[in-house]
Amino acid sequence: MHSEPLNDRNVSEQSPYFYVDIETYPTTSWDKFKQVVKRTFKGELFVGLWVVMREMIKFDIHTVQYPKEKLPIGPRYRAVHKLLRLWESGYERCIGCGLCEKICISDCIRMDTKIDENSRKEVTEYSINLGRCIFCGYCAEVCPELAIVHGQRYENGSEQRAHFVIKDDMLTPLDWLTSGQQAEFPGFGAITPNESVTKTPLAY
Amino acid sequence: MDMAFIIETIAKIVVILLVFSALAGLGTYFERKVLAFMQRRLGPMHVGPFGLLQVAADGIKLFTKEDIIPQNVVKPIFKIAPVITAATAFMAAAAIPFWPEFTAFGYKVHPIVADINVGILYVLGIMAIGLYGPLLGGMASANKFSLISAARSAAVFISYEVISGLSLLAPLMMVGSLSLIDINNYQAGGIGNWIVWSQPVAFILFWIAAFAETGRTPFHLIANDHEIIDGFGTEYSGMRWGLFFIGEYANMFFISFVIAIIFLGGFGDGSIAGAFQLLLKVSFFFFFFLWTRAAWPDVRPDQLMWLCWKVLMPLAVVNIVITGLVMMF
Amino acid sequence: MSVITITIDGKEVQTQEGEFILNAARSNGIFIPAICYLTRCSPTLACRICLVEADGKQVYACNAKAKQGMNITTTTSTIETEKRAIMEVYDVNHPLECGVCDQSGECELQNYTLEVGVDKQTYSIADTHKPTQNWGLIHYDPALCIMCERCITVCKDMIGDAALSTVARGGENIEAAFKESMPKDAYAMWNKLNKSLIAPNAGTTLDCTNCGECTAVCPVGALVSSDYQYTSNAWEHTQIPATCAHCSAGCQISYDIKHTDITNPDAKIYRVKNEWNYISLCGAGRYGYDFENRNVTKNSIAFDAAIDAFKNADTIAFTSTITNEEAMILQRLKEKFGYKLINEEARVFKNFLSNYSTITGESLYHGFFKEVHSADFVVSIGTALKTDNPNARFAMNNALSMNKGAGLYFHPISDPVIAAMSKNLMQINHAPLMEEATLYLMLDLFGDKAEMPSELTSYLATFHSTKTVTIEETVDEKVTETIVKKVLNAESGVEEEVSEHVTKTVKKKVSKEVEVDENRLLELLNAPAGFSETLTKYLAKKSTFALIVGSDLYTHPNAANCARLVGLIEKYTSFSVTMVPNLANTLGVALICDLDESAGTKTIGYNTAGNFTLSALGEGDLDMPALNQQEGTLTSNDKRVNPTNAALPYGGYELNDIASALGVKEALTVDYTSQLPLNAGFKAVEFDTLPNYYTNAGEEVRGYVLESQRSEVSGDESVQPLDEKYGLKGALVYLANPVLQFTSFTAASHQLQESGGLYGSTSFMNSNGLSAGDSVRVRTSLGEMVVVFIHDSKINGDIPYLPTFDSKINSQALFGGYRFSNVSIEKV
Ligand code: SF4
Ligand code: SF4
Ligand code: SF4
Ligand code: SF4
Ligand code: SF4
Ligand code: FES
Repeated sequence: MHSEPLNDRNVSEQSPYFYVDIETYPTTSWDKFKQVVKRTFKGELFVGLWVVMREMIKFDIHTVQYPKEKLPIGPRYRAVHKLLRLWESGYERCIGCGLCEKICISDCIRMDTKIDENSRKEVTEYSINLGRCIFCGYCAEVCPELAIVHGQRYENGSEQRAHFVIKDDMLTPLDWLTSGQQAEFPGFGAITPNESVTKTPLAY
Repeated sequence: MDMAFIIETIAKIVVILLVFSALAGLGTYFERKVLAFMQRRLGPMHVGPFGLLQVAADGIKLFTKEDIIPQNVVKPIFKIAPVITAATAFMAAAAIPFWPEFTAFGYKVHPIVADINVGILYVLGIMAIGLYGPLLGGMASANKFSLISAARSAAVFISYEVISGLSLLAPLMMVGSLSLIDINNYQAGGIGNWIVWSQPVAFILFWIAAFAETGRTPFHLIANDHEIIDGFGTEYSGMRWGLFFIGEYANMFFISFVIAIIFLGGFGDGSIAGAFQLLLKVSFFFFFFLWTRAAWPDVRPDQLMWLCWKVLMPLAVVNIVITGLVMMF
Repeated sequence: MSVITITIDGKEVQTQEGEFILNAARSNGIFIPAICYLTRCSPTLACRICLVEADGKQVYACNAKAKQGMNITTTTSTIETEKRAIMEVYDVNHPLECGVCDQSGECELQNYTLEVGVDKQTYSIADTHKPTQNWGLIHYDPALCIMCERCITVCKDMIGDAALSTVARGGENIEAAFKESMPKDAYAMWNKLNKSLIAPNAGTTLDCTNCGECTAVCPVGALVSSDYQYTSNAWEHTQIPATCAHCSAGCQISYDIKHTDITNPDAKIYRVKNEWNYISLCGAGRYGYDFENRNVTKNSIAFDAAIDAFKNADTIAFTSTITNEEAMILQRLKEKFGYKLINEEARVFKNFLSNYSTITGESLYHGFFKEVHSADFVVSIGTALKTDNPNARFAMNNALSMNKGAGLYFHPISDPVIAAMSKNLMQINHAPLMEEATLYLMLDLFGDKAEMPSELTSYLATFHSTKTVTIEETVDEKVTETIVKKVLNAESGVEEEVSEHVTKTVKKKVSKEVEVDENRLLELLNAPAGFSETLTKYLAKKSTFALIVGSDLYTHPNAANCARLVGLIEKYTSFSVTMVPNLANTLGVALICDLDESAGTKTIGYNTAGNFTLSALGEGDLDMPALNQQEGTLTSNDKRVNPTNAALPYGGYELNDIASALGVKEALTVDYTSQLPLNAGFKAVEFDTLPNYYTNAGEEVRGYVLESQRSEVSGDESVQPLDEKYGLKGALVYLANPVLQFTSFTAASHQLQESGGLYGSTSFMNSNGLSAGDSVRVRTSLGEMVVVFIHDSKINGDIPYLPTFDSKINSQALFGGYRFSNVSIEKV
């Protein structure tokens, strides 16, 4: 929706803003009395009673008994992070550029990097302090490699303020990758994995 | 006074105390369940089967919780106030016949603690004293919300005292006795003799007043959560707060008994069927308290006062006059 | 040089006549982009991005000199087009690996690309595969190299190793069409860029003194430290401003710290950075940073034992790798309890200074390294310059290469690295103990004979005699020939071949008999033949003179006489004299402490052996913080009191705790900063107010400079005559450290771990039938030891040396104070 009409605070015919109908409120005592009588005998009260009684009889319960039952989570839900792998090689996507670490407004990402045998930058450890993370998604947004994304794991209660996920918790296990369990969501630069996928397209 | 009478009375007091305390607990369970079902929820489910033991859990919690006495409260009054609420509720029960007379092990039991000849007056009087619970508790709490609540409770109770008194006057004029047993017996002839048919206005007015006296939705304004937190109960914790709670629920039961006895024929002829009918009637009124809570919104204090003094009281007076005129001619 | 006024972008600024426009702008806070220029080094004109318009003409700000009244505009539309094109060219085929690159965040290519706003690419050329190269401590990625040649420049003009040069790049030529379509300077720059790559002179790997300065100056991630590579991103570091703790140069550094790893939040030093435009580090400073005393906790038992030891002891022996404040505490302890303070190396220096001041009436020498940098004739006497104080070598090299300078290097050990610094540098490898002769020679050659005491003049005259010799003289002869030469076409930047006829003067040799003045001092010093002639050549058009003297003189048996001679040189020649103190804070210790000659019976050793040892190396009876775990000040050979800060946490006791327990109380060690002795030239300033930075104009704003104290001189300027038989002969050994090592602290850092031995040159190795790794027995009159033989390709000659950095080798015990000793060496 275009926000312009909402910014127009001049209440008029065209404006989506309108006054609730307050003219019909009774002003004199007699009018008020009449209103009470009318409301009392018009049966509005009984409508209310009927509605709740009807629902009780229908017994159409909407409660989700949370720890036993769980609602499905939207694919773009921003819960505990995941580190993805490249589809074609299974190699870790994260290159250790540190942008997520830098952008994180809670300063809760830390990583250890080193040079590996192939002269590549290897991320040996990666941790997020979930006690500080506000799940803003900046890290996922800034990641040039689509390596860090948010996952669906929202159950991260802990007994301590500082608690961490480390690389092993977040990285897609290799067998998940081969069995196609690494979820990829539509959006900027992403792909839907199938047989034709030979490369993970990154933004450039 | 013979010993048996004293023992019997004490036994009755103990039974009533235990039964109604338990009922108050169960009442909360039912209230939660009923409200939940009406709102498409499940209510308590996890303690015991269908959450039945939730009551026990709450009881344990209330009993074991720390009893916090805030620093600036007026301590003796603060401590005594919940007791007043609970005590007056149970004291009022003394004159209520809960069940027709029956014989157990060859002993004739009157399920009423004291069949006094001013029964209903006593009940109403004692319930009126219950006002001191919220009033004193609220004023002693050193909390502005509690204070507002105290002021509101004083206003509401005193106002609706008038309604309940006046509305009862007409049936009493017809019965000619203040004893609840007499009132019950007056209607023993069956459904056609119920006072509700001859005094429908009085019935409605008393019923409305009953909501105000027990402080239930739609007249829940003495402890209206969204305006004044828990009102007079804000500073209370643990079992002291629990006493207010028990008082409120006991009151709901007792007032249900009173309505059923005065207007709906009570236990009728005293047969077992009549006795169970009384329980059914009481259950309906109790259920109705819960039902309205699910269905209706609260009114504002000024609306409540306006309703009391400008609508209900004139109606009650008119009802008395008409009753008097009908009886005279 | 005079102060002139020029106008840059409408702003009037003052600068020195002959200063480069770029430097004038920088010191006045005006930004001109520049990639290839290095302050203090010669402009290479590789990047051409520093284009400005001076008086209507486009010039390169880094090599155009400011003239009085010049009007400079830093941006015009053509300049903007050029800059844009230049940055686009730099981005051609530049790998997009900022994500992993070590330079990311402080990369000049990133910065300028963004500054200029390159958002699309107009140019292209086929890329070639350029594999990365590992050169030991240094890693080179040619794919990232932008051929600014800063590494080559710094290595040649500043460091003096000249270990890097360009090699052919290979690959395609630039499409001809670009020549027409491109801005001119951008094309020229690309042409140059597309021709070459960087390579070590020594072939596939680097053979140099490993200063790492090339990695510091590299604007991109092409040259990086192998150890640091891929361990951190630049922005993660907290920079702790500090002063290098290894040698007396007291270089400004910052310790870049960060948490150790994800499981350990304690700080760890990841690298050392320096303000490379104004100060150059040696490898010890750059790579020897993690010498901290790790995992120390307060051990109260050891502490109580230390207090007891202090109560019983009568002597404190210590080294000069301590702060001024610690030295002050030791001095206070001495004043209160009468301890003897033993630090031989600082004591001889102190004596040297006081003898020197009997001539000059000044408590301190006059010179600064800055003066060496700007001198055009530099002499070094009595110090193994390359390893005693690398910055002194950098200064000398910088003077030789930037000021068309010349120099003399007097030392018994011939040093190929020094020799390679310049053609105009002569090494005189005199016999040890003949240092006095060098000083006499200095007086003889440069002294103002009219002013000098007549005794001295006449004494010097005794060395001279005339004799007739046959010499070969060269005469000029004109010849004309045709040559083909390569000319750099200024327009295109391409080298073109041009043939031309030139008339050349060739030298022709003719024999001739002449009468010459013979100076016996030269003979005594083994000066190379033709010394006088070469010197005359060297001295042509020279105006600023600097002399560096070192610890061979302080430890000399006739040190007192040497000191007075140095004083005379200071007084009667135009040389500015700079002394090189031995260790990081030798000067500070010498000024603060009253040092004793002989020790008592019960000794506390601080970083040195004693009956009870305090050690910052973690080897003693009680741990002490190392210099990167302490705050305090260090006195450099520039007579500057430089602040240093604690980069790493330290959990144990420090000297101040001991002193406090003994009743010499201050809350903090740095509370002593303002109590340093005023009569030694220190100032009463609080530690926290001491600055530590360089301004854009290159001004050193660090700590404060000691004030030299004037004293009355007796006027007695007599010196002892030279004992001509004095020189040591036969097999000799020297006390010195190899490149990259100074003390046990350098050897403790993980990149420089090394154990010492007997170091010898190739010729020494061959003539003694040794090979690297052999065990040798080294015996002097004072004792003997068996050590490993280590080959050092960075020295020449037949004198091997024993190091002091390895605490397992008590090399000092073999020497009687003086750094040279007769020795017998046999293989075992
Ligand atoms: S979601 Fe936000 S707060 Fe959490 S790690 Fe990412 S950037 Fe930091
Ligand atoms: S931004 Fe992405 S690629 Fe860079 S370090 Fe973070 S997760 Fe790895
Ligand atoms: S050298 Fe600079 S531009 Fe090139 S990859 Fe490294 S950071 Fe990026
Ligand atoms: S290695 Fe670095 S300093 Fe050397 S030419 Fe390349 S970019 Fe310049
Ligand atoms: S490390 Fe130092 S000496 Fe070696 S090449 Fe680099 S600048 Fe030159
Ligand atoms: S800085 Fe002047 S040409 Fe590079």
